[in-house]
Amino acid sequence: MTLKTIFTMGAFAAGLTATAALAEYPERPINMIIPYGAGGATDISARTIAEPLGTAVGKPLVMANVTGAGGATGSVAVQNANPDGYTMLFARVGSHSVGPAMKATLPYTLDDFRFVTVYEINPVACAVNPSSGIESMEDLIEKVKEGGVSYSSSGVGSLLHLAGAMVLRDFGIEDPLEAAAHIPLKGGGAAATAVLNGTATFICTNSSALASFVANEQLTPILVTTAEPVPGFDAPTSADVGKPQLEQLVGWTGIAGPADLPDDVAEKWGAWMETATKDEEFLEKMTSRGSVIELMSPEEADDFIETQYNTFRKLVDELGMRVEG
Amino acid sequence: MTNRSVQLQLGIGACIASLFLIFVAIPGWVASPTNVRNIILSPLFWPYVLAGLTGLAGLGLLAVGWFSDEDGVPLNDVTENPRAAWLRLVGLAAIMIVIMLLLPRVGMVWTSMLAFVATAFTVRTRHPVAAVICAIVIPLVLYAFFAHVAGVAIPQGNFVRLP
Amino acid sequence: MSFFDSLLAGLTLVGNIEAFLALGVGVAIGVVGGAIPGMSATMAVALTLPFTFAMQPITGILLLLGVYKGGIFGGSIPAILIKTPGTPASSATILDGYPMAERGEAGRALGMALWASCTADLISNLALIVFAGWLASFALNFGPPEFFTLILFSLTIIAGVSGDSLLRGALSAVLGLMLATVGLDLVYGTNRFTFGSPDMMGGLNFIAVLIGLFAIPEILAMAWNPTAHLGKTRSLGNKWVTFADYRKSFRSIVRGSMIGVFLGSIPGIGAAPAAFLSYSEARRKSKNKANFGKGEIEGVAASEAGNNGVAGATLIPLLALGVPGDVITAIIIGAFMIHGLQPGPMMFVLNVDIIYGLFIGLIVSSFFLFFIGTAAIRGFKYVADIPKRLLIPSVLVLCIYGVFAVNNNIFDVGVMFAMGWVGFFMMRYHIPAAPFLIAFILGPLLEDNFRQSMLMSGNDWMVLFRGPITWFFWTVTIITVAAIIRAGYRAARSIGANRLKG
Repeated sequence: MTLKTIFTMGAFAAGLTATAALAEYPERPINMIIPYGAGGATDISARTIAEPLGTAVGKPLVMANVTGAGGATGSVAVQNANPDGYTMLFARVGSHSVGPAMKATLPYTLDDFRFVTVYEINPVACAVNPSSGIESMEDLIEKVKEGGVSYSSSGVGSLLHLAGAMVLRDFGIEDPLEAAAHIPLKGGGAAATAVLNGTATFICTNSSALASFVANEQLTPILVTTAEPVPGFDAPTSADVGKPQLEQLVGWTGIAGPADLPDDVAEKWGAWMETATKDEEFLEKMTSRGSVIELMSPEEADDFIETQYNTFRKLVDELGMRVEG
Repeated sequence: MTNRSVQLQLGIGACIASLFLIFVAIPGWVASPTNVRNIILSPLFWPYVLAGLTGLAGLGLLAVGWFSDEDGVPLNDVTENPRAAWLRLVGLAAIMIVIMLLLPRVGMVWTSMLAFVATAFTVRTRHPVAAVICAIVIPLVLYAFFAHVAGVAIPQGNFVRLP
Repeated sequence: MSFFDSLLAGLTLVGNIEAFLALGVGVAIGVVGGAIPGMSATMAVALTLPFTFAMQPITGILLLLGVYKGGIFGGSIPAILIKTPGTPASSATILDGYPMAERGEAGRALGMALWASCTADLISNLALIVFAGWLASFALNFGPPEFFTLILFSLTIIAGVSGDSLLRGALSAVLGLMLATVGLDLVYGTNRFTFGSPDMMGGLNFIAVLIGLFAIPEILAMAWNPTAHLGKTRSLGNKWVTFADYRKSFRSIVRGSMIGVFLGSIPGIGAAPAAFLSYSEARRKSKNKANFGKGEIEGVAASEAGNNGVAGATLIPLLALGVPGDVITAIIIGAFMIHGLQPGPMMFVLNVDIIYGLFIGLIVSSFFLFFIGTAAIRGFKYVADIPKRLLIPSVLVLCIYGVFAVNNNIFDVGVMFAMGWVGFFMMRYHIPAAPFLIAFILGPLLEDNFRQSMLMSGNDWMVLFRGPITWFFWTVTIITVAAIIRAGYRAARSIGANRLKG
């Protein structure tokens, strides 16, 4: 067999699988890439939806955590994958709106992905250590003006990083980067621990990440960014403090494929998600963690992410937070 | 190679590496924002410290190597035929490169089978039949285990897909 | 929660068949893995790691701990039978175990190795249970400055145990630190040595580096000299270890266990130095001093007690501080994190049920080790007979699968191969690999905690001396460095003296 025949056969076989994929998608297990580590908010959300979703799809979903670089490594794996619908991504606020808004170095943009849905919204809450003597946002702002305040995050370009700066700015701190020190840690768990042991003054992150600390009275919540109150968090909402623009500051999880994902595949995903998110057990598990289940169509998802991205991008540019080089 | 020549070669190597890091690698491949307020917080600080330490270790090795006695005892076992040994090493390097090229294209199971056979014959196995049998069985067993027990998405490639 | 509540919570967590099954399977995998030269306990743990992803956290971690404990014992099997330590920690076992095997007393040596291992394991586990909670009680005081000083201290110890040349060990450690800088900068998010590759941005995967550094060089060395390993395996012999042997060596076993516990609880030392220290202490105290090295059963007991004494104690820094004591616990820490558990002070507050579940599992593991080890000694000589040149390609294939499974990324397989060549080069130049690896783990922690300290204090250096904990670690660091320098000076002087004599 010459090299040429091997190549032709290869091309033929590849063509065969491609057409077959279009004919009766899905005909084999689908790889679902989770760009964050196991046990994180994205991972838990993905593995919870995977059960009802797998039933709706009718084929197994193979969950694969591809971690690194704040979600970039896994996202790139999907960006470069065959757009045949057999490699899909659990996209997250960090990898697909804060990241692109903050990092010029990111090897992808929002245009490299086609979103089929956003299914989950996570409210953001800010919390402090009870022993700090801070009881409200006003106290915190007072402290910031005195100096020496810091906030912890799970890394540069994470939602936590941006959230800390955004909240301070909306409460009247002109230059939050100068006024409060940002202390990046490795991961959301470490960021919460930093506030517990007094390394950082406050943290703004998904309410689900703080829920157990708040319940144990190890942390005191001082703000939630949704208009509706979050169960278990005895703190003013963005509506209470009259800052509706903070409602943009929420976490979310969605599903995306490579940019050239065919329309019929995207449609199928829409239908599957419709069925999956109606699952009682799924709803109960997710809401008990403080998530809001809100199924968006591909168009709504695009709109939602675009708006959030633009809000963040504007803030990042104003504050000079963009990471170049 | 004797202990002394090892020390000297390593010392020279480390010094060259240190200079390369300081003058080429760190300025070229480590990015730092312009608005760093404190030098010790710069992304460049730690790599420069390490480059300096590499240089120090290199100088130390040179000094120790220079002042130590030549005992003439070779450190490594001699191989009976250096030429063939080098060829086998190059062969293994080639196997590794081919593995990397084939993995995403033909899948992990088939690549592993080829890699097994190639490696077994590169190290001149005395059991060619057993090697071929193992080459077929071990990747399949590992695939079954990783894909179906551990739930890992083992790369399948574009051609023959396993269930 | 009171002690008994915690104990009960732990019991409910491990009180199921799966947990015990995992523990038993783990010990069995470990014994077999440790007994395969070139595989070692470290690799057995690394290769088992991906299988734990799908399990319950406690089941997965018990599986890994089983592999760890089994592996440390398993290493003694080839050390005694074919003079090849299956695990670096069993190097000291060769000294008396192999002469015994040559005398046809392999069975007796292996039996003593097992009994000593199990005893030391039990003592070590008890030490963990007693001291870990005590350490954890003040562990919440550990902020970035405290961690910085702790890690600085751990690095000095690595330098102290880097084999026959301190400088080569230091070079190895610096290389490891340098390699660990690859990826995105923590504070500014800029690229460091990533060459624009999204795979490099995440940094080099630790397990890919580890397997590359330890397993692949064996394959390359095999290609370099395919017949180097050819030797004979001796028969087990009819004699089995007696209780009289055990009683005679009991003091050495307990002493070895204590040494193991002490060295194990300090991050960064590992089992091999403990085994050698225990061996030399046993020899110093023994009446049959002259017989050591010629097949003295007490020597086997002492070295095995030393290395197994480390096994439980390395979990003290892991659980109480979140700091890996050696390479194996560094992998196990990864398993904790994969399951969303943050080992360290907070674990005693947040996951106290898991902690106590682990304690119970560990105690049980000592007994598992005894029974599985006994079976393994009987059955093992057939497995050890696998021709090495079939074993080596199998290890290669196993590595490819294992490394891919860690992060579902083919790039990591490439990292493993590249690190394999680095490891082979280091082997040829007699640069110890252990300092490299431990520096690779600790390097980012050192840098991150230093910068976090500076950020939280607004660039005030005094934060690094802010309390008794930092002062304590500064002091022990200085003492250790002084001791290293003194030892190095003495070694240089004795070489000089020898030169004058010669």
